[in-house]
Amino acid sequence: MDPQLNEVSQVFARFKAAFTRNDFSTCSDLLSRLKVLLTKFSSLPPSFQQTPNAVQELTLARDIYEHAVVLSVKIEDQDAFERDFFQLKPYYTDTCGVLPPSPQEYPILGLNLLRLLVQNRIAEFHTELELLPASALENPCIKHAVELEQSFMEGAYNRVLSARQTVPHETYVYFMDLLAKTVRDEIAGCSEKAYDYLSISNAKKILMFSSDEELSRYIMEEHPEWEIKNGCVYFQKAKETQPCKEIPSLQLINQTLNYAKELERIV
Amino acid sequence: MAAAMVSSASGLLAMLNEQHPALKLHALDKLNSVVHLFWHEISTSVPTIESLSEDEEFEQRELASLVVSKVFYYLGELNDSLSYALGAGPLFDVSEESDYAHTLLAKAIDEYASIKSKPGGGEKEKLDPRLEAIVERMLDKCILDGKYQQAMGMAVECRRLDKLEEAITRSDNVHGALSYCINLSHSFVNHREYRCEVLRLLVKIYQRLPSPDYLSICQCLMFLDEPKPVASILEKLLLSDSKDDALLAFQIAFDLVENERQAFLLNVRNLLQDSKSPVHHENTEQPLENPDQGSAAPSSENGNAGASDTNPTSDTNPTMGAGDVPMAEDSHTPNGTANVMSSSEAAFSEKLAKIKGILSGETSIQLTIQFLYSKNKSDLLILKTIKQSVEMRNSVCHSATICANAIMHAGTTVDTFLRENLEWLSRATNWAKFSATAGLGVIHRGHLQQGRSLMAPYLPQSGAVGGGSPYSEGGALYALGLIHANHGEGIKQFLRESLRNTNSEVIQHGACLGLGLAALGTADEEIYEEVKNVLYTDSAVAGEAAGISMGLLMVGTPSEKAGEMLAYAHDTQHEKIIRGLALGIALTVYGREEDADALIEQLTGDQDPILRYGGMYALALAYRGTANNKAIHKLLHFAVSDVSDDVRRTAVLALGFVLYSEPEQTPRIVSLLSESYNPHVRYGAALAVGISCAGTGLSEAISLLEPLTSDVVDFVRQGALIAMAMVMIQTNESCDSRVGTFRRQLEKIILDKHEDTMSKMGAILASGILDAGGRNVSIKLLSKAKHDKITAVVGLAVFSQFWYWYPLTYFISLAFSPTAFIGLNYDLKVPKFEFLSHAKPSLFEYPRPTAPPSSTSAVKLPTAVLSTTAKAKSRVKKDAEQKASADKSSEDTSTSSSSGKSPKPSEKDNDSMQVDSTADKKPEAEPSFEILTNPARVVPAQEKFIKFLEGSRYVPVKLAPSGFVLLRDLQPSEAEVLALTDAPSSMTSPAAGTATATTGGQPASATTAMAVDDEPQPPPAFEYSG
Repeated sequence: MDPQLNEVSQVFARFKAAFTRNDFSTCSDLLSRLKVLLTKFSSLPPSFQQTPNAVQELTLARDIYEHAVVLSVKIEDQDAFERDFFQLKPYYTDTCGVLPPSPQEYPILGLNLLRLLVQNRIAEFHTELELLPASALENPCIKHAVELEQSFMEGAYNRVLSARQTVPHETYVYFMDLLAKTVRDEIAGCSEKAYDYLSISNAKKILMFSSDEELSRYIMEEHPEWEIKNGCVYFQKAKETQPCKEIPSLQLINQTLNYAKELERIV
Repeated sequence: MAAAMVSSASGLLAMLNEQHPALKLHALDKLNSVVHLFWHEISTSVPTIESLSEDEEFEQRELASLVVSKVFYYLGELNDSLSYALGAGPLFDVSEESDYAHTLLAKAIDEYASIKSKPGGGEKEKLDPRLEAIVERMLDKCILDGKYQQAMGMAVECRRLDKLEEAITRSDNVHGALSYCINLSHSFVNHREYRCEVLRLLVKIYQRLPSPDYLSICQCLMFLDEPKPVASILEKLLLSDSKDDALLAFQIAFDLVENERQAFLLNVRNLLQDSKSPVHHENTEQPLENPDQGSAAPSSENGNAGASDTNPTSDTNPTMGAGDVPMAEDSHTPNGTANVMSSSEAAFSEKLAKIKGILSGETSIQLTIQFLYSKNKSDLLILKTIKQSVEMRNSVCHSATICANAIMHAGTTVDTFLRENLEWLSRATNWAKFSATAGLGVIHRGHLQQGRSLMAPYLPQSGAVGGGSPYSEGGALYALGLIHANHGEGIKQFLRESLRNTNSEVIQHGACLGLGLAALGTADEEIYEEVKNVLYTDSAVAGEAAGISMGLLMVGTPSEKAGEMLAYAHDTQHEKIIRGLALGIALTVYGREEDADALIEQLTGDQDPILRYGGMYALALAYRGTANNKAIHKLLHFAVSDVSDDVRRTAVLALGFVLYSEPEQTPRIVSLLSESYNPHVRYGAALAVGISCAGTGLSEAISLLEPLTSDVVDFVRQGALIAMAMVMIQTNESCDSRVGTFRRQLEKIILDKHEDTMSKMGAILASGILDAGGRNVSIKLLSKAKHDKITAVVGLAVFSQFWYWYPLTYFISLAFSPTAFIGLNYDLKVPKFEFLSHAKPSLFEYPRPTAPPSSTSAVKLPTAVLSTTAKAKSRVKKDAEQKASADKSSEDTSTSSSSGKSPKPSEKDNDSMQVDSTADKKPEAEPSFEILTNPARVVPAQEKFIKFLEGSRYVPVKLAPSGFVLLRDLQPSEAEVLALTDAPSSMTSPAAGTATATTGGQPASATTAMAVDDEPQPPPAFEYSG
């Protein structure tokens, strides 16, 4: 066996060990090493040179990146997730003829869809979706994301939140939590537009908080411009718009009259 | 295992955001290799990569720059792409075979060239050293790869003379490279100053070669207007004992003469005279010493060594040193030192005399006139038809006919037609008389020795006022100018006196024009002052000529005179004077290119349309034959936007002058204008094509002119007919069938009673131009070395004024140059020499003479005989009428000479019959080649078919298919058979006859005597003709 390949698999073995131990800092270090090592393999994308060890190398690299993606979820790093996912993706899209499909493929694709949903990048969500074959839509991981998106768009937020209980994979939980927040932001945005003020209890209900403290903390963090008084939440929309609406009519009238006078003088 | 393909670069882009620099590097590297596929994806991440390329700590900033550069290239942002490619430094591979590299290189070179060519000294600061490095890398690579032409082109474009020099000296064929460079500098270097620099460099390189190509050096030096080095080269060649060197010197002289730069030639001649004795020593020591350039010192040593290498047998040094260092001669020349010295001195002065003769233009003019006389094939029947069909009372057509005759016989000295129709001729009155007399000048053009005596009957007599009509006197002075055009040394004085002694504005008019022509381009201050005095009399007729004359005098000289003329143009009330001055000012800026811009700006911005019109001519002449884009733009702008029709017409016409070096371009550029609603613009378009495509027979030009010849407006037809004749000159029917159609069309227009006078006149002139100079001349604005012929261009420019002033039509004769191959031996005689024209004879033969009811040859012969006798008779008669006081003795000589001459035309007829008979035999199986005998008519289109035969007795010094070519005699011991020997005698004798008969003047008889002396013994001539 190729010594390089050997080295990579050894490091990867250590990485997996640390991974199962949930020793994430070691994992990150090892992963970084692995990635650098992987750049030595010419059979990997984008070169795809046909070396004798190509299949093993590709498989190994795919495995590494799959783990990297899962790791990034575990350490709750969305940027890392995106990076790793994009590096992983060529292994799914471009190696169909070379490698057998990975069992992790759909869960990870579903995870990515979920991420896009969480980040409210709906356009990209649909682009990704369109790239998937029709059969993939039957996969529970994908189906889950698709259904979530539909509920999200319909405004059936309660269904979105309740879907947390039916996640197809344990890694999804992180994003589902984030999704709840996305949903809440969405609701907050809508209510701001819809109401001048809401009573605290209604606000609590709409924003799905269980206690007043949670609500006030949320308001403090996300919407400091909101105001709580008299047992109501004022959205302050009116305050902003009112003052700038006034037209300096007197001044304008004066000016216009002046112009008219001067014009007459010129002619 | 199926090959996997990448479908996206997003993975790599993601990798760019990784923390580890090794990963970034890997990503960049991979991106660089796939950028041509995924530039669209990468383009969204360009900011990331840009920030990498600007990150001081990132070690592969250059790679990042390269990737960004490529992305920008694919996005079409070439400027950004270039600036990042510069950032990529050595990673940008100039030898890469990709569109990207090619495009960016081109862009880089363009950028560099445009910075370098910007005027002003501040360019150095603006120049990016990285840009310079790339260009230099490219140049070096070209030189290394052996792509010398490419390298030279780039070096010239980028103004890197150092690289140019390197490219030339390292190329495998230095001579080829040099001549390529000369071409380059003339056709692609727009800036005049810079072109001079390039040429100077070329001269330097030439001189460093072991065997310098003196022909090319002298051409370059002429362009640079440096007579001194030319003189010293000529002198060196003359000092050599080898006949070959002398031949080469003669050849150089002929080539220089062809460009017609009178002032330059004068300078060379004077230098040769002055430097005769003192330069001896200097020259033997350092044959190539260039007095102007200190830098040439090292090269002259090379040259010296080289010269002695090539000429090991020549004992140049000892013999020539003999004159100055008597010590040396004993050791080197074994016997008869005194004799050797004196004989070499004699040989030298003989050679010097010859070369001066050539440089003065006299030799070539004399040979030309002999050639044109002996080969004259003009068709008198055409003239006869015109004469009969033209109404007597229509003076426009009448004088047009006289003009057509003059043009048809330009330079042939054959005035048969005039002599046969004296009565008809006398109908010309006033200005028509002026023109008719001037026409004689065209016919006798170049007849330097006898010119004055020929015109004597018409010239003003000093003291005797009212002897002749002022019109004929003025015309005669103008005629003298035409005879001596650009070679006016001998006649200037007489013309000046005539100008001083008269108050008649008609005579002043003629004298001014004559002086301008004779002293063309000499910038003679005294003459200028005299002409200026005429101008200040503020008489319209004389002032107009004075204006033109001042321009002719000052052609192409950077002087203050233009401002003076402009000031007067603003003062005067006479439109004629303003027009004359406007043209004059335009003439002064001839060939000045950028130098003239200020003046042109002033003229074109003037309120007076006539001065704007002058501005158009100034543009035309300043940028003659350069095809300069800026000038073309300006002219096109005026052609469509000026309010005055005259200006618009001239603007279009001027395009012809700017474009004559690239005749193929003109029809395309003016094609839209030729369909303009404005007849003036159409007229201009026709003449523009006529001027720039003159003598080319270009098919596109003919196609463009054809519809214009049947335009609805009469003067457009006129212009189109004349232009068509200029284009078709010397093209016969077998080359282009439309020539025949055109001839028939001309005949039809002339015969048509209802045709407008204007177009009739055009048709008459056109038939003259079509058969100009006995069908042996063509209009040539470029010499064989692709230099502009100053006289020809000026001639055409003034000719185009005939719109306002018919007598100026005669200026077209300046543009005629004989289409001949004239081979000369060491004695500057024309030996018998045969060469090959590798094409069907019918392609280039003379057009058939028009067929009257009787057979052509029958008509041809009697007219030929009749002409001479009639000539003699009528001359005697006329002389008797005008000069009753002609003395007896001279009459004797005239009769004797005419009787002596009578057998000669028959010889000539024999000759022509031989030609006919061979021509008759050939058509049966049209051979694919033709043997031509020196001197021969070689039309421009034929030149590429000319081949010199192997094993012939003479070998040309220069492989030129036409013009004057010196021949090296390989069997000098054998007697030479000379051709063209009968022509000079038959030609000079009638002239001498007239001369003596009319005036008995001293100079004329003296020259006759000389001609007799020069004449070789008759026997060989008999051998030849028999």
